Amino acid sequence: MLKLTNLYACYGAVDVLKDVSIEVNEGEFVAIVGPNGAGKTTLFKAISGLVTPSRGNVYFAEHNLLKVSPHQRAHLGIAHVPEGRQVFPSLTILENLALGASTASGQRDWNDNLEKIFSWFPVLKIRQHQRAGSLSGGEQQMLAIGRGIAASPRLLLLDEPSMGLSPLIADEISERLVEIHRSSKLSVLLVEQRVAEALHYANRGYVLETGRVVLSGSQASLQQDDRIRQVYLGM
Amino acid sequence: MDVVQYIENFLQSFAAGILTGVIYGLMCVGLTVIFGVMRVINFAQGEFMMLGMYFTYFMFSWLGGYPFFDGLYFPFVLALLAGPVLFGVGNLVHRGLLQKVTGQNASRLEGGGHYAQLVLTFGLALVLQNGGLWLFGSTLVSVPSELSYSAWEMGPLYQDRIIIFINQNQSIAALLALAVVLVFARYMARSRLGKSLRAAADNPEAAVYMGIDVSRAHRIAFGFGVGITAIGGGLLASNAPFQPYIGTDYVIIMYAGVVMGGLGSIRGAFLGGLSIGILQQVSASFLPNQLQNTMIFTCFLLTILLRPQGLFGLRERVA
Repeated sequence: MLKLTNLYACYGAVDVLKDVSIEVNEGEFVAIVGPNGAGKTTLFKAISGLVTPSRGNVYFAEHNLLKVSPHQRAHLGIAHVPEGRQVFPSLTILENLALGASTASGQRDWNDNLEKIFSWFPVLKIRQHQRAGSLSGGEQQMLAIGRGIAASPRLLLLDEPSMGLSPLIADEISERLVEIHRSSKLSVLLVEQRVAEALHYANRGYVLETGRVVLSGSQASLQQDDRIRQVYLGM
Repeated sequence: MDVVQYIENFLQSFAAGILTGVIYGLMCVGLTVIFGVMRVINFAQGEFMMLGMYFTYFMFSWLGGYPFFDGLYFPFVLALLAGPVLFGVGNLVHRGLLQKVTGQNASRLEGGGHYAQLVLTFGLALVLQNGGLWLFGSTLVSVPSELSYSAWEMGPLYQDRIIIFINQNQSIAALLALAVVLVFARYMARSRLGKSLRAAADNPEAAVYMGIDVSRAHRIAFGFGVGITAIGGGLLASNAPFQPYIGTDYVIIMYAGVVMGGLGSIRGAFLGGLSIGILQQVSASFLPNQLQNTMIFTCFLLTILLRPQGLFGLRERVA
């Protein structure tokens, strides 16, 4: 469904992504793990169009994404839950969710989606008329995820949903994500620094280091890889 | 002069201040929409106000003599019409010029595009001023209005010693300005487009992820901002004579109002403009005319000193 082939991207003279090829199939939960500065966020921005790759291709379903303007990509069915949440602070929670539902499919499924979002994250229902800026970090992350789901996307991009959250809240959000993936059958591409957790939830994974995919494989094969166990899992 | 007369003077100028202040408030709202959504400081805002004035003037001179168009209220209709017309002009200016140095294009430029934006809007102001001089001439003009010479009397109050005159022309203009502000604020708060403009203002990057065309949002915001200020210009066109350089006088007032009220919020901008109008008129009743602006800027500086977020400023942006 999503296919990146031999992707390069640079900021000025610095290559941030080097020959990255990644694929997400229909209904899969795929994790990209790696240390800070590996280029994970840049990779997501290349998919959403805020970074233009210098070489390579990005395909989504039958579309060549490099020929689709950034804001149109949301309408094709890609929902990007960005790093650092980036909710709209001066708008209420309900207004944030409604903006997520700007796509045609989001409009169509608005009532169903809202019910689902509120059942996954009840705190959003309680606070629906409050400004998003007044929420705690964990609640903002829930809102950011809810805003993504409100679009009725085919692919959900999640950029470090655990960033800056306490382990307890991060675990709660991870569990919700698994539940969301299971019940809605949408494809999920997750970027995480919490490697153990990410590999626990995902069907497949890629390891990105300094802009290159250094390792990829199924959940089981990555969890058993010696290097991963040593470097990321501390075993 | 005895005390009662002082009080009468004060009330008289206070009333006049509210009437002009509401129109300043309207113009400030226009400016703040552009700043709030686009983060662009538009130096040419006064010139768009001037275009609103000339639009009203020329349309009135052209049509005013004909039956059906010769009513007392026709200038007000024209002033309101200046809104959509200048909305279109603003749209084109954004498409042709501003778009190149704002939004996604800005990140590639030095200083996040702010230098280019300042030079561009300042240059635009100069071109519009001198273009106006060339096209409209330097003669002072104004839209004649018989209502300017009629007033409602309030009073007599206090043992028949106080009477306040409320200029009918200014009152209608102020009511219209207030209506435009209320309708616009409600539109921004409730409508789908308003919400997407506020989203683009809050976080342009996330707005793109929501499928919002941020460049289009900027174009609409610029059109709104320019159109709203032009309506303010149109409403002032029968108040006092003007020439193509009038924008420079007003752009300062607009900026003072917007900053005093609190940058980026519609409510703050309106109240800021209103305060400036009141200050200006009230100070005129006890200070020499030349010192009116001194009074405004003394209060402006005091506000900046004591309350940098503005008198009515929230910590977050609303527009």
